[in-house]
Amino acid sequence: MTRRVVVGVDGSSAATAALRWAAGEAVATGAQLVVVHAVGLLEHAGLATAPAQEAREDVVRRVVEEAGLDATRLDWRVVDGEPCAALLRQAGGADLVVVGTRGAGAHSGTLLGSTSLALAEHAVVPLVIVPSSPD
Amino acid sequence: MPLIVAGPVGQDAHDGGPHPERPARVNAVMDGIGDLRLGTDLVQVAPVRPTGEQLRRVHTPVYLDELELFAHHGGGSLDPDTFVTDDSWETAMQAAGAGLAALDALAERGDGSAFVVARPPGHHAERERGMGFCLVNSIAVSAAELVARGNRVLVLDWDVHHGNGTQSIFWDDPDVLYVSTHQWPLYPGTGRPDETGGADAPGSTVNVPLPPGATGDVVRAALDEVAAPVVSAFAPDWVLVSCGFDAHRADPLAELALSSADFGALAEVAVGLAPASGRVVLFLEGGYDLPAVRRSAAATVAGLLGDPYRSEEPTMGGPGLDVVRAAGVLRERSLGVTR
Repeated sequence: MTRRVVVGVDGSSAATAALRWAAGEAVATGAQLVVVHAVGLLEHAGLATAPAQEAREDVVRRVVEEAGLDATRLDWRVVDGEPCAALLRQAGGADLVVVGTRGAGAHSGTLLGSTSLALAEHAVVPLVIVPSSPD
Repeated sequence: MPLIVAGPVGQDAHDGGPHPERPARVNAVMDGIGDLRLGTDLVQVAPVRPTGEQLRRVHTPVYLDELELFAHHGGGSLDPDTFVTDDSWETAMQAAGAGLAALDALAERGDGSAFVVARPPGHHAERERGMGFCLVNSIAVSAAELVARGNRVLVLDWDVHHGNGTQSIFWDDPDVLYVSTHQWPLYPGTGRPDETGGADAPGSTVNVPLPPGATGDVVRAALDEVAAPVVSAFAPDWVLVSCGFDAHRADPLAELALSSADFGALAEVAVGLAPASGRVVLFLEGGYDLPAVRRSAAATVAGLLGDPYRSEEPTMGGPGLDVVRAAGVLRERSLGVTR
């Protein structure tokens, strides 16, 4: 039985799709949901153009609520780091890691900058890559 | 003693607009070097073109091909931090080639030191992907070239961020010793003391994470107490430095508290770790407050050449000495060293 699901979020639609899937999995299996947001160089300095952290936390809470996950089973973590390294670190002891196909700021159509691809190479726990629904 | 400047590269290219990793950084370094009025002791060399073989020692062919193609099609974002423009590939090639030119110039002269004044920076770039403002790992290209020529290479990284790319590229290479001091926690999230090298090169990575507010004396302690014994046992033929100036207290991207004078002292340490004159090469990495970059570049080069120069006082008394000592213990424990 899945007991701990780790999901990466960055404000992108792909990450929100991954969060929605992970929250559903946590509800279905009674797992704790660990939501990880990795803070990059620009965001650390307050120079990021991506949605503010508060907005992402709002999205997380709304998606988790819609999935029917008890708030006590949500663990929201904001950590300095590159997304792949941050997720791998938080994934220690987890049963499942979940990410979207393409993160914020990353270019579609190539493998450049792909966190999901890097995780696929380095993850030591099962990894689920969730495609975002077409907008 | 001569200073060889390889470059400048990137002072009018790879421009991401309102981004801290900007062309003016190169001009700030050159202005700082100019402040020293080195006269005929300053020798500038142009970049050479890196070969495919030299690049493929540290990056996968797929990554190199995709990056070149991406740039030639106009570029975009690799991630929220990292941009690519239509001239980024060419600029990254020149930056990597400037390092190779510095090696050749020093090998030919047999004395002096070199500063690769080039951007984009490189130490976050891994074999298969760029990140953290970095596209091609220039210092790794040069280190791998030296190894191919039969040398043992120390890569000393005092940028405020851990050089995850350089560490991972040489993780299993016993001919490259990677030593990093960096703020923790901070991007990229790697660089724990128990990251000590792969199965084929145990102990060949030395990480000393430092808390926000750490001052120059703390960084010196990290190098003197934790790194120096490892370097001495390793006996490098060359010392390459990932020379970021973002550990300066004025830098907007991090929270260490060094002054420009501290970088001069660090440069003196780098010289002291080299086996002979003509074996130290600095590579520009981070540093985003332009006045601090200018002062720090001047102090660093002065330290490199053994010249007196000081625009700020050295810093001391910040937190982290206990962390340094704990890092040493954690490192030894992870390597199975018992006392």
